[in-house]
Amino acid sequence: MSTEPALDTTPTDRGAWRLVAARDFSVRLRDKGFVISTAITLSVLSVFILISAFGGDDDGPVVFRVGLVGADATSLEQPLEQAAADRGAELEVRIFDDEAEAEAALTREDVEAMLGSDRTITGLTAVPEPITQIVREAVVRARIRAGMDEAGASSAQIDELLDPPAIEVRTIEPQDPKREENAGIAFIAVLLAYGQLFGYGVWVATGVIEEKASRVVEILLSAIRPRQLLAGKIAGIGLLGIVQLAFIATFAIVLSLATGTLRLPGTAIGVALVVLAWFVMGFGFYAGLFAVSGSLVSRTEELQNAMVPINLIIFVSFFISIGALESPDSTLSVAASILPFSSALAMPVRIAMGSATVPQIVASIVLLVAGTAALVPLSARLYAGAVLKTGARVKLRDAWRSASATEA
Amino acid sequence: MLELTGLRRTFGDVVALDDVTFTVPEGEIVGFVGPNGAGKTTAMRIALGVLTPDAGIVRWRGGPVDARVRRRFGYMPEERGLYPKMRVLDQLVYLARLHGVGRSAARNRAKATLEVLGVSARQHDRVEALSLGNQQRVQLAAALVHEPDLLVLDEPFSGLDPVGVDVLSGVLRRQAANHGVPVVFSSHQLDLVERLCDSVTLIDDGRIVAQGTIEELRAKRERRLFLVQVRGSGDGWHGSIPGVELTETTPQGDVLELADGVDEQRVLDLARASGDVVRFGPVHPTLAELFREVVGA
Repeated sequence: MSTEPALDTTPTDRGAWRLVAARDFSVRLRDKGFVISTAITLSVLSVFILISAFGGDDDGPVVFRVGLVGADATSLEQPLEQAAADRGAELEVRIFDDEAEAEAALTREDVEAMLGSDRTITGLTAVPEPITQIVREAVVRARIRAGMDEAGASSAQIDELLDPPAIEVRTIEPQDPKREENAGIAFIAVLLAYGQLFGYGVWVATGVIEEKASRVVEILLSAIRPRQLLAGKIAGIGLLGIVQLAFIATFAIVLSLATGTLRLPGTAIGVALVVLAWFVMGFGFYAGLFAVSGSLVSRTEELQNAMVPINLIIFVSFFISIGALESPDSTLSVAASILPFSSALAMPVRIAMGSATVPQIVASIVLLVAGTAALVPLSARLYAGAVLKTGARVKLRDAWRSASATEA
Repeated sequence: MLELTGLRRTFGDVVALDDVTFTVPEGEIVGFVGPNGAGKTTAMRIALGVLTPDAGIVRWRGGPVDARVRRRFGYMPEERGLYPKMRVLDQLVYLARLHGVGRSAARNRAKATLEVLGVSARQHDRVEALSLGNQQRVQLAAALVHEPDLLVLDEPFSGLDPVGVDVLSGVLRRQAANHGVPVVFSSHQLDLVERLCDSVTLIDDGRIVAQGTIEELRAKRERRLFLVQVRGSGDGWHGSIPGVELTETTPQGDVLELADGVDEQRVLDLARASGDVVRFGPVHPTLAELFREVVGA
């Protein structure tokens, strides 16, 4: 653009779509709705990542506080701590003089459980299962130790006997250890891809309606061809979708790495790129259809009805893709990842799960690109035939008839 | 010169245009007149390439109209339309760019056009914030901003106040006279058309029913009307003249229709014989009267 002379030129016909794309891109970039939706997506993702980072089931030590009562309480202290340490938990022992004192501590929630001199475990509302197990083990150990001590064994011998040998765990068909994290990444990815495909598709449709409702489309079409307007709109909005998706993905990956949620940055970046690639292709496939449904009606309120068929297809694809997280190799998942209607969502999931084969990926790409190539002229013709007809909803057949190929 | 030849267009069973042929010569303003639903908008949309005809061709300066030629046309559709939330200047720059004007030239022209149309004070406002009259001016600016080779305006005067009408008339005259731009516009304000246009094309029910300068249209008129006022005569002085009929009585006198072959001089003689002739002359019908006559309303 910078090489363009300042004075009047007659740019080639091909350049018109770029002007349209630039306007659609920049107008929406500054749109309040866009800014807000980006902010919401980022905050939801942040919350999700931060919860994973600092929330519940992480692997750090858990501290249980147990109150002990009675004369032999101190003898249990060491076995209890040992048993807890074996389980990767930490146990804090408090010694109480009598049961009443211990129960008071229990109601103050200073301890989670108390062990009475009669070997009963008392909790406030319930006793956490790990505590029961730890206490049981400690009691058994204490009894063994006492018994062996009586039999004359040295404390070193006792320690050695009580220290269980390390047991190696082996599986015949090992599951990919990264599978769970991959599934997490794939889930976020398919969620984003669905939102992006649907949201930006609707944006194309509403963009078409805006121009139709404000009648500015007639002026535009006196200057450029319908297919230039259509291509520009799809390119501009699609580019914004790509930029937003890339931005969100980068943000999520950086935040995950910074908080330690993500240990596999390579996988996440790979999945992000795959989602981007399939978004580009899937958007190309669907955007024309969204534009046609927008061009059939004259008011935004009517759009919902006009979009029902497309919405349904995308929604079903989304559900199949969620299912593919569980069973990426099922016939349904494989078929959905290859067919152009659903592959934009299902294929990234299967790639992320590591179950897609190269021939399947190639077939998916070829079908999606071929499907798009077949749909674009069809959409352009329907769009051209419908976009100037205001008033009642335009029937597809009428749109097809009223547009000759030259008009598109 | 814009030539529309043999245009035909149907919408389902409705024939919107049937063998429509007319031309808009360089530097001339042509009024396109006809009742609602006559086919004016369809013809204009075809001239602009927004619609394609079922049959017939549009030629510009003797050649076919392709996308490159069409971009040099300026169009104001009947259904006004601009981006409501876009700022006036941005909008005009964008439209100029779509018409093939370079970036900085587009900006200069947009500003200049707004200046001419008297809305440059509103250039940074959103279109939706403007009054309807000002929106109309911006709409006109959108048709003019790329300095088009041809202007096609569908009802450009509707909704304008008298000052706006004068501004627009001046702009159209300058476009035609100074720049040689052919202008065709449709209007129901026939007095304006009469004042402004070099020639008029009348369309009714998809067919061109009359065409030419206003004088030519008048000359072709079959009825010969004379306004006669005779002081001091009875009402019935003309009642006995064969071939003369009273069509209307006005405060200025009686309007008489003379049949073919009736010599107006003889009628004048008879009038003088019956009293003092204060007024005697042919009635030049206004375009509105011609219009009513031609379309049979």
